[in-house]
Amino acid sequence: MRRMAKCVRDRRRAGWPRRVAWWRAWCLPAVVCCSVWLCSSPSVQAAEPPQFNRDIRPILSNHCFPCHGPDSAARKGGFRLDRRDDALANADSGQPVLVPGNPGASPLLQRVRATEAAEVMPPPEIKKPLSAKQIDLLERWIAAGAPYERHWSLISVQRPAVPAVSQPAWVRNEIDAFVLARLEREGLPASPEAGPETLIRRLALDLTGLPPTPAEVEAFVAEILAAQQTDRATTANSRSQTEAVYRRWVDYFLDSPHYGERMAVDWLDAARFADTNGYQVDRDREMWAWRDWVIQAFNSNQSFAQFTIEQIAGDLLPNATPSQKIATGFHRNHMLNEEGGVIPDEFLAEYCADRVETTAALWLGQTFNCARCHDHKYDAFTQRDFYGMYAFYHNVAEGGIGNYGASIRRNAPPFLKLPAPELEAKLAKLRMDLATAQPQLKDLDAKLQAEQPQWEEQLQKTLAAGAPANTPPTAPVPEDILALLKKPAAERNEADRQKLSAYQQSTHPERKALAERIAGLTKQIDETDLQIPTTLVMEELPQPRVTRVLMRGDYTRPGDEVTANTPASLPPLAADLPRNRLGLARWLVDPANPLPARVTVNRFWQSIFGTGLVRTSEDFGTQGEPPSHPELLDWLADEFVRSGWDVKHVLRLMVTSSTYRQSSRARRDLLERDPDNRLLARGPRFRLQAEFLRDQALAASGLLVKTVGGPSVKPYHPPGLYEQVTAGSTTNTYVAGTGDELHRRSMYTYWKRSVPHPAMLVFDAPFRESCSVRRSRTNTPLQALNLLNDPTYVEAARFLAARMLTEVGPTLDTQLTQGYRLVLARAPQPRELAVLRAAYQRALTEFQADANAATELLQVGIRRTGTELNPARWGAMTVVASTILNLDETVMKE
Amino acid sequence: MSVESLFALSRRQFVSRSAVGLGTAALAHLLGEQLQASGGLPGCPQHIPKAKRVIYLTQAGAPSQLELFDHKPQLKEQFDKDLPDSVRQGQRLTGMTAGQARFPICPSMYNFSQQGQAGLWLSELLPHTSRIADRMCVIRSLHTEAINHDPAMTLLQTGHQIAGRPSLGAWLSYGLGSENDDLPAFVVMISRPSGPTNAQPLHERMWGAGFLSPRYQGVRFSPGKDPVLFLSNPPGITNERRRSMLDDVSSLNRLRLEDDPDPEIQARIDQYEMAFRLQRSVPELTDLSQEPKSVFEAYGPESQKPGTFAANCLLARRLVERGVRFVQLYHRGWDQHANLPSGIKSQCYDTDQPSAALVEDLARRGLLDDTLVIWGGEFGRTVYSQGKLTANDYGRDHHPRCYSIWMAGGGIKPGTMYGETDDFSYNIVKDPVHIHDLNATVLHLLGINHKALTYRYQGRDFRLTDIHGSIVEGILA
Repeated sequence: MRRMAKCVRDRRRAGWPRRVAWWRAWCLPAVVCCSVWLCSSPSVQAAEPPQFNRDIRPILSNHCFPCHGPDSAARKGGFRLDRRDDALANADSGQPVLVPGNPGASPLLQRVRATEAAEVMPPPEIKKPLSAKQIDLLERWIAAGAPYERHWSLISVQRPAVPAVSQPAWVRNEIDAFVLARLEREGLPASPEAGPETLIRRLALDLTGLPPTPAEVEAFVAEILAAQQTDRATTANSRSQTEAVYRRWVDYFLDSPHYGERMAVDWLDAARFADTNGYQVDRDREMWAWRDWVIQAFNSNQSFAQFTIEQIAGDLLPNATPSQKIATGFHRNHMLNEEGGVIPDEFLAEYCADRVETTAALWLGQTFNCARCHDHKYDAFTQRDFYGMYAFYHNVAEGGIGNYGASIRRNAPPFLKLPAPELEAKLAKLRMDLATAQPQLKDLDAKLQAEQPQWEEQLQKTLAAGAPANTPPTAPVPEDILALLKKPAAERNEADRQKLSAYQQSTHPERKALAERIAGLTKQIDETDLQIPTTLVMEELPQPRVTRVLMRGDYTRPGDEVTANTPASLPPLAADLPRNRLGLARWLVDPANPLPARVTVNRFWQSIFGTGLVRTSEDFGTQGEPPSHPELLDWLADEFVRSGWDVKHVLRLMVTSSTYRQSSRARRDLLERDPDNRLLARGPRFRLQAEFLRDQALAASGLLVKTVGGPSVKPYHPPGLYEQVTAGSTTNTYVAGTGDELHRRSMYTYWKRSVPHPAMLVFDAPFRESCSVRRSRTNTPLQALNLLNDPTYVEAARFLAARMLTEVGPTLDTQLTQGYRLVLARAPQPRELAVLRAAYQRALTEFQADANAATELLQVGIRRTGTELNPARWGAMTVVASTILNLDETVMKE
Repeated sequence: MSVESLFALSRRQFVSRSAVGLGTAALAHLLGEQLQASGGLPGCPQHIPKAKRVIYLTQAGAPSQLELFDHKPQLKEQFDKDLPDSVRQGQRLTGMTAGQARFPICPSMYNFSQQGQAGLWLSELLPHTSRIADRMCVIRSLHTEAINHDPAMTLLQTGHQIAGRPSLGAWLSYGLGSENDDLPAFVVMISRPSGPTNAQPLHERMWGAGFLSPRYQGVRFSPGKDPVLFLSNPPGITNERRRSMLDDVSSLNRLRLEDDPDPEIQARIDQYEMAFRLQRSVPELTDLSQEPKSVFEAYGPESQKPGTFAANCLLARRLVERGVRFVQLYHRGWDQHANLPSGIKSQCYDTDQPSAALVEDLARRGLLDDTLVIWGGEFGRTVYSQGKLTANDYGRDHHPRCYSIWMAGGGIKPGTMYGETDDFSYNIVKDPVHIHDLNATVLHLLGINHKALTYRYQGRDFRLTDIHGSIVEGILA
């Protein structure tokens, strides 16, 4: 705490501005009239002076910064517009381009107004002309004195006051106040609350990535209805009982072991986690222990600050535990090139750069990759900043290449051996045996040496007598030994003596057996040791490597030497922090740092609501989108830090809000006004991500194996994909696992970077080659084919059908209803039931006429059911189950 | 992985069906996204294109220019002499030969002769390709920066060595959309070498969409039951049963749509219809039974074996006939670090006849005029031998400073040799062409200014040619 307080003081001394309420200027009445409302600046009343962050920076950034911005190498005309002092200084022309208060005397305005191609700015060839409206804004801004503001995301987080609203009853927590205040300004009503069945499915999917069981749905609905009755009986507006029930269920899901799995999935994308090394050779690595660490960290609700510190620098903590070391695998998740011709320096540079870019994207929401080759074109980060960060990561005891050509496959160092009690016990025994055998050998050799004169004498005699069969040696004595034997002892040198001694040992049966035993034990020890699972970790070199700026990012062109440092435009690394990864990690979670809390709560918001408050969750820079609800973002960021970086607390706030609990129905007025739902006048509705789609089908059908953690597994996979792409040998055929491995949660599916599981790619999963914090959500025919025909889903339909037929008695309608309940957490409506009923009857008639067809369908997938069912009925119900699994409502979270 | 073109019909259907009463903004919003997906970008192509589609015959592993296209007769006299330092100029070598004690000059074992009226110098390994000499333009001065396969192939495909950018095919799908409603705009087919050569590993990212929407990603067509993943119905489900089942799915989705006018529901209904159409159009496409015997004879003996380069060449023709925008074949196995003479011969057996047959077939059908065919790999090979050099055996290491490819059709000047290398095929002495220049030229032929096809990602307007690339005027017809 003291350290942080000091850091704040340092920051103040360093002139870090504590601006008040940057968002206040932003939140002026905005007229939402079309789908692009967020991209364009809200209209500005003619009388009102433009706001720099809202109105001016986007113009300067997009149209001017590439040549008059932070990148010193690309700068033209000798002036920059991203900083006021510089903008007001003399340019190459000998005068400043901006004259505050005097647009007419400002060359900037003259140039943007110019009509001749040679004069006008921006130059026509860059194809970014300014509109009349933009020029007008620039003029009024200069007239108002050309005031600058720091870019919004770099201003320190201030806790905003919670706004007053005219319908306070709707407000369950602060989130709602901010959202409703905005809706009221826009004149839009919020949507009614979603029904309890929708809500529990939404909660379960959001917090565990699994659908609720029918029993959970039933209990939740009953409890909510009972609580509502109690509340109504108490006072007119009371909802305390209902709230208590709802919150209890939220905690129920947050406490589930599957919560950690759900949260880990997003983190694995960001951390570029995979089971192979990537690049051309793309061989396996062992990294699941790190993945399990992430799940465990979320489940135990480790503070995000500690979560950060352990992953960036767990190995540098005092008395680091094995778990803290495992955590550092985070920055070993990058790809590793094992191609034959790799030049180590080239890829060492690649790995370090990847770590910098990942850190910047994930904690700072900044596109540092731009600054690898030159100063950033838009944001205030220099190439020196990049290599300052690089230096933190340039000190790992690693090679630039993997284990290519090594006879034994093993993770590329540095790695950590995981606890493996059985193997360790076996090793201990082997080592003890070895420790026993080695002195025996030593003793025997001493004995043999002492007996050497007698042995030699005996041998001479034997040779003279003509080698009787029952005395050693049985094999002919080699020529060189014979020669030595003839040599008088006094004339023999050391090498002669050793040679003779070695021969004596090799012909001694007991000695030979002992030596073989020792060799065998050594080999066994090596082999057993290799069986102990390992995981990649970070480890510092005793002597730091020298880091130099790489000109144009090229490892063959080192420039100035730099030392580890944080970017100059952010609060400085406190003087009492070490200039190593541990210092960097602590800096990342210093409350004075304006970015990490904002960037992190925004990603949580994105997970729950589908779109971040800042839509460009990977870019909080000047080219990124500004937040839709800036005050809410800051309030959440501040609350996150105040709560001690409590992830569950922030998620709980989100999912208990009225905002979250709204119906997701796309109201026609909203499709017109706000089709992307950025104003949050309805609940989130979007497609489940790849992993949770399959998990949902497995869970609903009862196939899901819920084991948490362990080595990655290989479920069903279409044949031929690996053979087409991977290197020549047959070992690259994908061999599916057996038993439980086929039905684990999708996050445990073996992730091969060159050929990720096709069902993952079809549903927009990234390749996991670099940090990714936002997935696309496409809607395509290949997805339809996957859900219709993949044996995974056919088998799931088969099992879902079996549950429908066996779990709820013989009535068809009840059975069909059970299918809906298992997948959608609700009963079908009468018209839906009619479609299902007709579907079943049609399929039944067909399969009764074509019994083979049903039998064939019921053979898809390896798992068999325990019960014998009538094939025609089961086949028909499988068709219905597959229908349910393919509904839009099924693939969507509503 | 998605089928960009398949959105075309979706959009039309959407327009016709959306009379249900969607707000115009919602409609515009949805169309905005889908317009891009189907018809390409507004204003694209930007000028009248010479080529409407591309067949890219990617030779993975780096074919040796010295044995195929870059004739260096004077090397014969320098057999096993040391490569002069003045030629190498201290340029970097891969980790495989950097430690070699000598760099012995290794002339091609194979002879060259002049072919066609244009007199292009081509290797005896390419008897069929020699036949189309007057249709080809051989570029002998292509160069790259990458010295190992993965970065080099990534650069060739995406204009950047580091993974994460869209491939050429994805850019074209994004910019130009598709001419076919029932097939993907960007199809990828991969073949293995028939010889004992180690097949070059590839990577799904090489035909990926990078930061563009995954819907622009190349769709892999494979030999076998399911040319497209999960295309066939499960056993027991006939097409009729599938149709009935899809009607049920559709009915239930429509009931939902009555309650909730989310355009996503309508889009889902349409995607399922397109999936059904794919189930019909793809088997029709891949069924070669109606092709006459003469066609198989032209493409060679391997063309009847599914999954070979020859069979894929024939499929490529069928795909472009149906309006598929970008067909990319990969043939693996060109990485001859050792035993080059036998390895390259086997590779040429796989590729020479079908490549030539494809060009002739396209010409016969009047498709060559607006179809661009490109044949080549990710870099070249060294003039010095990797490992032991004998009279009839040697290997060659990776060489990024110059290599050869050929192009034909859509807007390419036929019967041309472009660019020259030094006497060692080590450095370029005339008309260098960088990968970016090649890509700029390909885009130009397709009616696109490579500087103007951009996509804003992480705040920056990215393009295929990064900040480089000039059109290679000398190869344009």
